[in-house]
Amino acid sequence: MTAGPRLFSILRQGPYLIASIHTALDDSQLVRFQEDLIDQIGRYRARGVVIDVAALDVLDSFASRMLRDIGEMARLRGAATVVVGIQPDVAFTMVRLGMDTGSVATALDLEEGLSSLERLMNASPGRRT
Amino acid sequence: MPAAEPAGGTQQGSGSPDVAALIPLVRRIVTARVPDQATADDLVQETLARVLAASGRLESGTLEPYAIVTARNVVTSLWRDQDRQRRHQHRVVDLRPPEAPDEDVLVQEDRAAIAQALSRLSDREREILLAHEVAGRDTRSLAAELGSTAGAVAAQLNRSRARLRVEYLLAAERIEPPTEQCRPVLLAISGGDRRRQRDVDAARHLLECEACGRLSEPLMGRGRTRDDEVRVPVRKDADVVAARHVARELATRLDFSPTDLTLIATAVSELARNIVRFADVGEIVVELLEAPRRGIKVVARDAGPGIDDLDRALLDGYSTYRGLGLGLPGARRLMDEFGIASESGRGTTVTMIKWRDEP
Ligand SMILES: [Zn+2]
Repeated sequence: MTAGPRLFSILRQGPYLIASIHTALDDSQLVRFQEDLIDQIGRYRARGVVIDVAALDVLDSFASRMLRDIGEMARLRGAATVVVGIQPDVAFTMVRLGMDTGSVATALDLEEGLSSLERLMNASPGRRT
Repeated sequence: MPAAEPAGGTQQGSGSPDVAALIPLVRRIVTARVPDQATADDLVQETLARVLAASGRLESGTLEPYAIVTARNVVTSLWRDQDRQRRHQHRVVDLRPPEAPDEDVLVQEDRAAIAQALSRLSDREREILLAHEVAGRDTRSLAAELGSTAGAVAAQLNRSRARLRVEYLLAAERIEPPTEQCRPVLLAISGGDRRRQRDVDAARHLLECEACGRLSEPLMGRGRTRDDEVRVPVRKDADVVAARHVARELATRLDFSPTDLTLIATAVSELARNIVRFADVGEIVVELLEAPRRGIKVVARDAGPGIDDLDRALLDGYSTYRGLGLGLPGARRLMDEFGIASESGRGTTVTMIKWRDEP
């Protein structure tokens, strides 16, 4: 770990992980974020992940792709993913760009993200526990 | 105005003395006071350099008196210096007084750089340049004397000025050009000659040569700092973030909507990433446009392998890297204008514009 401000944080909250990106990340930092998050999903057997991207002023094709990949990998490990905090201008740009978050659910903010995780859990009671 | 006092010894008449009159005059003043031939040559050179440097501020009629006063000052400062260093002094080369404050040192170094730059020109080049810039001769009378045309003389003057700027910068920055290609490239840039720039592949050289990359900035800026254009070198992942940040900052000045700002930043991000992925090295130039209407122009240039099949590269989904192939077609959809030129083995240039105003 390098010194300086944290680029992102991953916190445990019950069966969920809350991953917050704090500043604009370049591609290699995004890759590290992805690796850390997937690693922790496995380690803590998380059942859901909320990714907060409110601090990102740009979600270009690479970052969008990264979020989709995280959702896909998390799903294979039995965890649901919700992306929260996509700014309206960023969302508009993603549409123009031809990107979306794929099968990954989105919500307005952290609170809504957590409750939509709850709904996802209840909707699929047979998954785990 | 400098307090040059052209009081005594001024020759009357001739509103535009030619350089043939100016140089012997200066030489006469200097050699009368400095016996050593080499030192005298240096001082004549320095005097001419100072006159040239000041010529922009002088009325044409005051050039000659100014040259006389300057020649005397230069000699006097040599004497002062000699006096100070008398004991271990046999021939003064370094005119810089050791305890001079920083500012003086800078002025002296600047003068030395101009003198060195002048000495890099051919005799003929230097004479014509001085005749025009210092003595105020117009191109028509110079052409008549040289058996040439005014247009040809003007073109020659432009080339000489371009060369002088290059040599001045090299001397001032104490840079020895690392490659054979450096001088031709810097000359083409200094002269603002687009065709010549293409011929010597200046854009590519600037990407590859650090020294020229640095020197090209003041050459392109021609002295005035442009704050409506920013260049971002792109080599690594972090530069992608820097490039889109710069674009957003610049675009903010034209009061683009928040949505447009995001579209612009995202398009820049896509192009900058392409450079890092495919070309290793390149640059993003962001420029505000005033005419024909206000807007922001983004040029992404790289010295990479080029794109063989442009049509295919612009198709959605075509890609050789993990980005869903949205780099080029995506950026194109986000901006108003989009153009791309690519040459196999030489690199790719993408130009995009977002207009601020409706047509
Ligand atoms: Zn060079």
